[in-house]
Amino acid sequence: MADLIQILVLGLALGGVYALMGAGLSLVFGVMRIVNLAHPSLIMLGAYVAYWAFRLGGIDPMIILPVALVILAATGVLLYKLVFEREARSAQYSEMTVLLTFALAMVVEGALGTAFTNTQRVTSPDYATDAFFISSVFIPKGQLYAGIVSLSIISALALFLKYSAFGNAIRATTQNRDAAELLGVNVNFVGLVSFAIGIGLAGAAGALVSFVFSFFPAKHWEWIAVLMSLVVLGGMGSILGTVLAAFILSVVAAFVGFFFGATWSTLTFFVALFVVLLVRPQGLFGEKPELA
Amino acid sequence: MSDTETFDILEQRKAYNATLTQAADKTRATWFPVVVLLLLLAMPALQFVGNYNYLLHLLLFTLSYVVIASGWNILGGFAGYISLGHNVFFAVGGYFAGMMFARLGISTLILAPLAGLVAGLLGYLIGLITLRVRGPSFIISSLALVMIFRIFFENWEFVGGAAGVSLKANDLTVQWAKLPYYYGFLVMAAFTVWVSYRIKHSKFGLGLRAISKDEIKAESAGIDTRFYKVLAFAISAFFVGMAGAVWGEYLTYIRPNIFLTVLISVNMVLICILGGKGTIAGPVIGAILIVAFNEFFVATLGASEINILATGLIMMICLMFFPLGIVGTLAKHRKLPRFLDWD
Repeated sequence: MADLIQILVLGLALGGVYALMGAGLSLVFGVMRIVNLAHPSLIMLGAYVAYWAFRLGGIDPMIILPVALVILAATGVLLYKLVFEREARSAQYSEMTVLLTFALAMVVEGALGTAFTNTQRVTSPDYATDAFFISSVFIPKGQLYAGIVSLSIISALALFLKYSAFGNAIRATTQNRDAAELLGVNVNFVGLVSFAIGIGLAGAAGALVSFVFSFFPAKHWEWIAVLMSLVVLGGMGSILGTVLAAFILSVVAAFVGFFFGATWSTLTFFVALFVVLLVRPQGLFGEKPELA
Repeated sequence: MSDTETFDILEQRKAYNATLTQAADKTRATWFPVVVLLLLLAMPALQFVGNYNYLLHLLLFTLSYVVIASGWNILGGFAGYISLGHNVFFAVGGYFAGMMFARLGISTLILAPLAGLVAGLLGYLIGLITLRVRGPSFIISSLALVMIFRIFFENWEFVGGAAGVSLKANDLTVQWAKLPYYYGFLVMAAFTVWVSYRIKHSKFGLGLRAISKDEIKAESAGIDTRFYKVLAFAISAFFVGMAGAVWGEYLTYIRPNIFLTVLISVNMVLICILGGKGTIAGPVIGAILIVAFNEFFVATLGASEINILATGLIMMICLMFFPLGIVGTLAKHRKLPRFLDWD
């Protein structure tokens, strides 16, 4: 029984990190209808920002997190202006943007690999290897802190979307781009800002990832399917759904890992992705199955 | 109107259509692919005058990509379903033929069609499931497929897990060792290109093009879209699997990381985009360019990471500025040289 509680705790702790990794992806999809396959590679970029700050300056990844967020958000603005804005009127927008982000993922991976080689990296602040004990159950501090930070950021985002005027504009654009435009929302600007926020969240997630997982440039391929499974299960574009899916799937994966071995635990995400796409393509909270 | 009149009209229409096709055939430069094929058939004769193994390797490499990319094109180009996971069938073909070769000693050149059928059957079954979604969802599902198969092959002890299985090299001298595979790929490439031409000019191909334009309209026009696209998926898996079969024996080993890497799956997509999706000559031209380009980067820079960076950049530039590819863009401006118009 203690074992099972332990696994539940570990699963939940990981879920917090996955939630932030998926949140930006979900936001970008919701507003821009871009399935951003480059998102995990940009998380990787954020992780490297944190890694070098830690390695060279000894700065805690938690402190560097806002910096990573801003750097990546700026990258997002740049990418939007250079690449995605011009695709807005493309006839096959969705296929086109998927392929573009796929290519972008390769560019980021190649650049990181060229610059920093494919060595496994991890930042190691004190809390990363420490744990709390509640009777026999241990809670790894790193993942707990990461989970708390991640959920705080997501809550802040949710409050912003719900209560600010601009947040409402973002949500309106998510729901119906044309109607929002008719009502006077500058959808292009909304697109730019939410793209920047989404990519910025990738940077924030990267800072957390840097001490939760070990990473190397090519690892983002593994994350793609993991994150896609969260976003698809949650319902593409629904941030709440993504967060819930992150917790559900990482707990399930933890149990699969416990009962069948660690190799099969990642398989949970891929199989879940497959099953959800086929059984309920709109996911848990998706409104319309327009992609199906 | 009597029946005879109707019959006459039909006859006249038939005759008229025949003259139209004849006129179209006159402008078609059928001689060009034939000459290229003959040249390629004669190429190994170079081995009599010197050591051209490297050139043969490059040609073989290009031919294998022609097979894979033309196969991908049937689903991705004609039907418009972009799969980023077609290397799964490359792996399945490679593993099937490779294991048969290792256990029973049957050459993969003989097994290739059978391996293709196995991959095609698997493609049919997977297609039945994944082709229920379209657009981005389909692309994502194809990515997940690669992940699933990779874990599967890496943990399947019978096929050697992550370490794979090494295969016996043939006992020809170095000078001639590549020839069987060279001719194998040449035959497959010619066959694939010919089949994709036949498909494009069939009712089936028309149906696939209709699906890529607007699936709902295609469906309401009476096309069995589900069957059409699943069949297209199976056919494209067949060709990719066939290429995989011989590829394993040529490299003398089968291992998950030679089949199931991103570069393989992205290369077949990139070749088609670069050359021109949905055209016959596109994948051939794309394959030549990509192989030349890969060699250039590996030879001059030597690093696979820079190769990935450059591949990604080229793909982005291509998508942003020439989404129709070389053949498509030239054709759109009516500047496509006649000898490249294979459609």
